Amino acid sequence: MLVLLSCRKGEIPNLNNPTTSGIVINTSKSSLNNLATGAESGMRRDVTAYLDAVGIIGREIYRFSGSEPRYTTDLLGGGTKELDNNSFYLTNPWASRYLVVRQCFILLQAAAASKFITDAERKGYTGFAKTIIGYQLLLNLNMTNTNGIRIPNSDPTYIGAVIKDPVQARDTILKFLQEGADDLSGASVIFPLSEGFAGFSNAAGLRKFNRAIAARVFLYNQKWANALTALNESFFDLNGSLTAGVYHYFSTGGGDMANPLFMAPGSTGDMRLLHPGYATDIIPGDTRINKAPVRPVPGSQSGLSSNREVWIWKSLNDPVNIIRNEELILIYAEAKAQLSSLPDAIVAVNRIRTAYNLPAYAGAVTTAGLIGEILYQRRYSLLGEGHRWVDLRRYDRLGTLPKDRPDDDVWPQFPLPQNEVNI
Amino acid sequence: MLLPRLTFLVLLLLCGTMLYAQQTITGKTQDSNTGRPIPGVTVRIPNSNRGTVTGADGKFSIILPNTAASTTLIFSSTGYKTKTVTANANAGPLTVSLEENLSVMDEVVVTGMATSVKRRNLANAVATISSKQLSGVAPAQTFDAALSGKIPGALITANSGAPGGGISVKLRGITSVFGNSQPLYVVDGIFFNNNSIPAGLNDVTAAATAGNPNNQDNPSSRIADLNPADIENIEILKGASAAALYGAKAAAGVIIITTKKGKNGKTSISVNQETGIVKARHLLGVRSFTPETAADLAGPSSSADPDVIKARAWYKYKFEQARATGKIFDYEKEMYGETGIISNTSIALSGGAEKTTFYLSGNRRKEDGIIKNTGYLNNSVRLNVDHKVNDRISVSVTTNYINSSADRGLTNNDNNGVSYGVALSSTPGWIDLYPNAVGVYPRDSFAASNPLETRDKMTNNETTNRFVGGGNINAILAQSKTSTTKIVLRGGVDYFNFRTTALFPREIQFEEKGMEGHSIQSNSNNLNTNLAGFLINIFNPGKNLTLTSTLGATYETGNFDNISTTATNITSGQSNLDQSGSTTVRQFRQQFRDNGIFLQEDLTLLEDITISGGVRFDRSTNNGDYKKYYVYPKASFSWNLAQRFLANVSAIDFIKIRAAYGQSGNIPPYGSKFTSLIPSNINTLPGLLNDNLRGNPDILPERQAELETGLDFGLFNNRIRLEATYYNKKINDLLLRRALNASSGYSSEWKNSGDLRNTGIELGLTTVPLTMKNLRWTATLNWWKNKAIVTKLTIPPFAIGAFGNSLGTYYLEEGQPATQIKGISGGALQLLGNSEPKFQMSFFNEFTICRNFSLQFLLHWKNGGQNINLTQLLTDAGATSFDYDEEYKGTKLGAYRVSAGDAAIYVQDAAYVRLREVALYYNVPLRNTNYIKGIRVGVSANNFFTWTKYVGYDPEVSNFGSNTMTTTQSRGSNGISSGVDVMPFPASKRASFHLGVNF
Repeated sequence: MLVLLSCRKGEIPNLNNPTTSGIVINTSKSSLNNLATGAESGMRRDVTAYLDAVGIIGREIYRFSGSEPRYTTDLLGGGTKELDNNSFYLTNPWASRYLVVRQCFILLQAAAASKFITDAERKGYTGFAKTIIGYQLLLNLNMTNTNGIRIPNSDPTYIGAVIKDPVQARDTILKFLQEGADDLSGASVIFPLSEGFAGFSNAAGLRKFNRAIAARVFLYNQKWANALTALNESFFDLNGSLTAGVYHYFSTGGGDMANPLFMAPGSTGDMRLLHPGYATDIIPGDTRINKAPVRPVPGSQSGLSSNREVWIWKSLNDPVNIIRNEELILIYAEAKAQLSSLPDAIVAVNRIRTAYNLPAYAGAVTTAGLIGEILYQRRYSLLGEGHRWVDLRRYDRLGTLPKDRPDDDVWPQFPLPQNEVNI
Repeated sequence: MLLPRLTFLVLLLLCGTMLYAQQTITGKTQDSNTGRPIPGVTVRIPNSNRGTVTGADGKFSIILPNTAASTTLIFSSTGYKTKTVTANANAGPLTVSLEENLSVMDEVVVTGMATSVKRRNLANAVATISSKQLSGVAPAQTFDAALSGKIPGALITANSGAPGGGISVKLRGITSVFGNSQPLYVVDGIFFNNNSIPAGLNDVTAAATAGNPNNQDNPSSRIADLNPADIENIEILKGASAAALYGAKAAAGVIIITTKKGKNGKTSISVNQETGIVKARHLLGVRSFTPETAADLAGPSSSADPDVIKARAWYKYKFEQARATGKIFDYEKEMYGETGIISNTSIALSGGAEKTTFYLSGNRRKEDGIIKNTGYLNNSVRLNVDHKVNDRISVSVTTNYINSSADRGLTNNDNNGVSYGVALSSTPGWIDLYPNAVGVYPRDSFAASNPLETRDKMTNNETTNRFVGGGNINAILAQSKTSTTKIVLRGGVDYFNFRTTALFPREIQFEEKGMEGHSIQSNSNNLNTNLAGFLINIFNPGKNLTLTSTLGATYETGNFDNISTTATNITSGQSNLDQSGSTTVRQFRQQFRDNGIFLQEDLTLLEDITISGGVRFDRSTNNGDYKKYYVYPKASFSWNLAQRFLANVSAIDFIKIRAAYGQSGNIPPYGSKFTSLIPSNINTLPGLLNDNLRGNPDILPERQAELETGLDFGLFNNRIRLEATYYNKKINDLLLRRALNASSGYSSEWKNSGDLRNTGIELGLTTVPLTMKNLRWTATLNWWKNKAIVTKLTIPPFAIGAFGNSLGTYYLEEGQPATQIKGISGGALQLLGNSEPKFQMSFFNEFTICRNFSLQFLLHWKNGGQNINLTQLLTDAGATSFDYDEEYKGTKLGAYRVSAGDAAIYVQDAAYVRLREVALYYNVPLRNTNYIKGIRVGVSANNFFTWTKYVGYDPEVSNFGSNTMTTTQSRGSNGISSGVDVMPFPASKRASFHLGVNF
């Protein structure tokens, strides 16, 4: 018996996956690349939940689902007194963004210790990681706003204070972005990125992407001049393609993730429809109405209905926007308008207007007039991309959002998730 | 010295010659009350190895060991008083009348891993279920379902009604939250794997992608493979105080199953056929529409939107047209209203000679589900052989091959609107979903899928090929008048291949413009082995003292390998994985090695005091420290007072006080010590992404300490027997997959972080109210309750599912019931319920009328315990609830419920009273038959009547299953989140006709 018991010995290792503690020890180039790819891939997780939640509260879309009534109850405020701090629409995207942040810290740790790479190559990894950290934190802050975010560090057991002042939180995000940009300045990028980063996959390209995100954050912090500076270092191009930019890559290829935002036209049961206000408020002739074609049969659930469906992601292989030139042009316009460079702002606004078959801007040539115009353009240019709610909140105009049913609410922000409160 | 040796030699020679002069005694046994023959009586010649068993006709024959024509014979049988008779071979056939024994005190109960005690000396309340109680009344679909209502202290819940089972068995409350919460099944000494392996349906349903990351595939549990007809006896060790010697696998209790063994004598053949029907227990009903309410599905009548006004008119027209043409359908009935046919055939041969006996059985169970294209088929063969090598050594071998196949449909939660129930929940009856003349199914304009089409075209099959076999060697090493030393060696192998096939052709509604077909196929190979050796010494210097010492060692291994492939964009009409546009492969493996050493001493004094003590050392590769032995002690005491103090009080047959204490552990799940980087590819680049579950290299097993005390007594010749038990079961170092602040990058973490306490009472009253020649009534009343409290939590409280606070969730919190349900009600998170029943009660009755009729029924009452009824939520949201249009607070009830923002509405009482089993059997009296020894016919009904206020298919339900395994990509079930009702496979009821013939 004793002979038998001693016949096999030793620990049984992790048979399925590498472990985090193992990979950070003298990491090889290929492992570093796997981690970088994981970070890019991970950014796609719950991107749907984020865009749906933000789009529903911002009255851009309706999300009707036979299996999930909370899109039409909780998120539109129907009956509820508060937004649940422990439901999927908050907890899933929140956790996924921080998961990627953790991934980036692991990548930073692994890159710092690796003996197989040059310093320039190291900077490629770290610059990328810090840029992604900044971007991911921004998305969570967009949800919770004055309820705040925590800033993690390389120690996963560290629980930092909740930064409740969004300006201060964004300053921290800007710091990550700045460090990332600095690293990328002298970097050599040896890791591959998906086609979503086409044109931005070297150090210079990633730095442009970094500065584009920074421009958005500066804008949110009302640092108009900084926003313009960042734009200049980004891929902003007033006359360039509106769709140029960085995307989440999706594909039906083996082992990959198919675009979860795709819904076939005319689909029933599960629908992502246009909030009717979008069609009502649009200027006649604006071709952006084509982002939401008319359905054969209107969709309806819980006393809500819409006859147009959101048609932005047209196949399971379509990419999802992270940041693109159209937004940068509008950032430029807004910063210029705020800095009272009204003619510059009008040029940018007209760049967008003409692209969509609208006549040149003929409204009041004032900052206020232009801000109103820019918010309109942002609403229609960036439909479904997670902006409207944030924009109206920035300008304290959430009160202008319609309530479709008497008991509905327009939530100003999400609560801090339960598991961040129960510490 | 010479003389004795010579004597020995002479005796030996004489023996040789005497073989030819052996004599035979024949006879039969009968019930002293009814005069009916008693099969299965053991006939034994004392102080020898000779024995036999009576056949189906009660007859026996036994060869005497020496020339003497007369001998003493001992007749013993469960349920009868043992009788000693002096018989003479020359006196002709013997008739022995046995008196019924209402006491069960002489029943032998297996308590150690290799030792047993008589029930009179037992310190624990060990529930025993005989083959008659298990499958003899009204058979359930699977063996585990047949336990419902029969075990005091157990909460047994069917996860769904899908063919092939899926049952949660929780003994004495909550044993573990994230560790193993289900008992260990030991079949003839072989550890029988009871994993539930998901079929990968999540790729289609996306059920685990939003509200709850736990798998919701509704897989079957592997214990269902076992053929109930092969089971002789089941003993249930409910907690550590009884099961400590099983060490770190016994925390959730041990269910010890003994299969039938061959009996020496004439070969008996028994053939049994069950034919019956299966139907849904309850259907919810559907909403009756009017032209106005049909129009409301397009938007409110107040809407000024011209499109809404147009759509309202269109719906109204559609409804009126459907009504005019009689095309208003009840799709619930269409989907769940099938009547399935049950056919269960078994044949068993049993026989053997003095040295070798065998039991050979074959069984085929086939039944259709209550949904078209669902069903279950189980074929099994068993061969059990017992062989006596000589007077000292005996060997037994059990083998079992099982082939089972379950077609389980597509039910439970999903986030794509594709499962039957979710699609039905938003589909009104006035649209036509039936295929046209050329077989094209219309699109369901109210759901993402046409459930009729999905049902008719999809496949969700689980096929198991399984071999379970083991051997046992018993050898007496030394024997003297006062001491016997023996060695027991045992080994077992449980191998299965489990194959799942989920096919969704490209043309069905939700596939045609999406992934264009799915073929999800997985193969799992699992091998479990267990080896054990025991050295046992029984020291018996006199009647008043028996000391049994056991030294044992055990070794178990497990090796699981699952490879699954999901293919999409499937070539039309094909299902092979390579007939596709894209494939994704996953693999998940797990292995463990556990070993333990134990020592146990059992002392019996004066036949009525038993003191027992033992200790076990256990280690496992799943522990953080795989080399460390954890120590689990046990001790017990029982004293039968009647003989000593109340010997002259004739009304009292026995009165026993007992106490038992024991510890056991619960090994952390495989992989809990690792923080993994899981595959996450993009654009053909291989990526590694940190898992959101943080491992813990220091993870410890949970430690359970259980104290059980009890008082048992029997009165009036044992016509009244009471067994009363109180237990206190504490779990320390609770293994939790606790929620972390997600800002750390991890959503959860393995941590030993709390204590839990279960206290409970179990009462069992068995009476024989009537015993007359033509009518006999026995009744057993069980009452039990459990209270599980989280006594300590070293981490912040956290929600562990179902789907967030706004829909009600289980919530672990210090000082609160472990199974409490909290949710947002009145704008704040508050206590809404508790899934734990207030108490349960079962009432079993058996009437024997005019000798040959037997009527039996089992009533089961579960009082209290709430469910989270999200089936109702979804039908409300889809505006199809049967009571949607009732007036409530100035609005429609269904519309009110879904939009009230009050989780309390859907946390509902799931109490029920159920007639679990009722059966009437008739033994056909036979005269002068040479071949047929017995014919039995009967009718039975299983789960036929339920009284409940719960508005759902059944109050027994669990969207998350009970022992679904955790893999790299999916989280398994936990020990608490049962009772979440999300569009399950509706539960069924059964009625059968039985015919049994013995040859």
